[in-house]
Amino acid sequence: MNGSLWLAWRQQRTLVGAGAAVLAAAAALAAYYRSGMLDALRTGLFDHCDPGPLYCARGDTGSPLLLDIQPLQYLGALNIVLPVLIGVFWGAPLLGRDRELGTHRVILAQGVSRGQWFASRFALAAVTATALSGLLAAVFAWWWRPAADRSYGLFWYETSALSGSGPRVVAAALFGLAAGTLLGLLARRVLAAMGLTLLATGVMTLVLEWTHKTRLLVAPHTYVSAGIAPKPLMGEKWTTGNYGLITASGRHDDVLNCPFPSGAELRACMDRHGYVARFYEANPAGDYWTFQWIDTAVLGGLAVLLTVVTVLLLRRRV
Amino acid sequence: MTGPDAPAALRATGLGFRYRARGGWALRDCEFTVPCGRVTAIVGRNGVGKSTLLHLAGGLLRARRGELRVLDVVPGTPEARARVALLTQDKPLYPRFTVADTLLMGEKLNTSWDRAAAENTVREGDIPLTARVGELSPGQRTRVALALALGKRPELLLLDEPMADLDPVARGEIMATLMTEAADHGTSIVLSSHVLPELETTCDWVLLLRNGRVELSEDADALRESHAVLTGHADQEELLTGPADRASLPTGPAGRTDTPAGRHTVVHRRVGVRQMTALVRQRGPLRGDWHVERPSLENILIGYLQAADPQGPALAERTEAAA
Repeated sequence: MNGSLWLAWRQQRTLVGAGAAVLAAAAALAAYYRSGMLDALRTGLFDHCDPGPLYCARGDTGSPLLLDIQPLQYLGALNIVLPVLIGVFWGAPLLGRDRELGTHRVILAQGVSRGQWFASRFALAAVTATALSGLLAAVFAWWWRPAADRSYGLFWYETSALSGSGPRVVAAALFGLAAGTLLGLLARRVLAAMGLTLLATGVMTLVLEWTHKTRLLVAPHTYVSAGIAPKPLMGEKWTTGNYGLITASGRHDDVLNCPFPSGAELRACMDRHGYVARFYEANPAGDYWTFQWIDTAVLGGLAVLLTVVTVLLLRRRV
Repeated sequence: MTGPDAPAALRATGLGFRYRARGGWALRDCEFTVPCGRVTAIVGRNGVGKSTLLHLAGGLLRARRGELRVLDVVPGTPEARARVALLTQDKPLYPRFTVADTLLMGEKLNTSWDRAAAENTVREGDIPLTARVGELSPGQRTRVALALALGKRPELLLLDEPMADLDPVARGEIMATLMTEAADHGTSIVLSSHVLPELETTCDWVLLLRNGRVELSEDADALRESHAVLTGHADQEELLTGPADRASLPTGPAGRTDTPAGRHTVVHRRVGVRQMTALVRQRGPLRGDWHVERPSLENILIGYLQAADPQGPALAERTEAAA
């Protein structure tokens, strides 16, 4: 095992180094921008801002108060594309390079079995990918915390936060690695494997984004308020954009049937149509973790499945 | 030496292999024994299964039927990997590794490693250890790959077309390295080659494959002694195969020992207008008026390789009928 691990390290040390450099750069930028963010918060300008989706204005000039969160969103974007990058540049060549050059035949003709050959190189890649993605997610969380769920910061449901933080980043990185590894085994050509991995991991990333937007896997909660009583505050909830009116029989109608925010007009309109309550659909802030764990289970399960398929095919294909 | 219980470098029993479950058989019904301590040449035309056989012996493929044992162990097991070295035809190496890295890889991946032997093999080819493998000539790369194989001090060295892309000088040098290895350490060597003249002086055992079957597995000197090139009048052919009904006798390339004594096996013949030349496996004294020559190993092997396939004539007839 030592020998094949040595070879795995010898071949992947450049990638490990690149990963470490990316992580160091991300951490340095995070430290710099986060301290700037904390300085801005310490001025007291933001103290009067309530949590909520509406932005908070300066008392004197009335201009919106916002923290500079764009670099944080870039880190979130990096975390989102991390499975694609790891899959294309790490997973695809992991077995694909040897398959293309035929070098696995030399390796397997030495004192190394197929199992050792695969296990050591995949383990090194998986451990590094886990550490890299886990630390990048941790950097994001540390940077994000002071600005989390604030009108001047970044809400949990925004794409860069929901998909660029938490355990799903680690699961996605492992999925990318497993997908690339399997496609490298099947494609026989590194370039073809890279293209297929780009496609597979890209599609998977977009599909999960789509499930977030459509709330396919995490159903929204319906918040109901009787009559013209004020609706519960939106606060940090993630609205689906679906809100409206409820009849006595329980039918949900579009809000445009009575497009009035409150008051006598609303009451008159509701009476006319026989509406007894109003509703809106949204995911509460606690659903962040539901989204996270579902994504983690889907991506982690796929990673395990693809790795098992790779191991099963290894005997026949190599 | 060749008895069933003697140590064998390679021993196949009913060996069969095909690449796909529904594909044709690359090797079938192979039954042979290559004794230890020999330099064996695997000879055959393109696509007869030479590489397949070596890959099976090296543990890169698994037999679908029957069994192939190397040094009396199953190929691909840790014990077999420690004792058998395989050099595949494409000699793949990591192009970005230096020669030193490549040898270090051999040291790390093998349980036993003779660094001096590996480095000497490289040094004999004037290859700097700091050179990148990707920048070496094909001959130099072969030498590095060979160093990787020799460094593990194998008891059995399997070489698939080791000379294929080398110039004649490099071929001679590599062959000399191999022969030294065999002489100094008693290493059994099994190599496949199309370069028949080189086998003449180096190989003492021959394994001839045709259409996935083993046609000869014999000592090279025994082959030389038992075969003769006969030149004589064409109408004497009957005398070679004996008075019996010729159709019932194997006139083709079947070098089987069940041919009755006195009936020689015509391996290959070339018939002119009146004169014919034939390579025969001789059994007993010759009848008739023949000019007899002792063939070289190369002549014998070419004779076997040129001999019509068992299915050959039927196929030819069919083609003619179709035309």
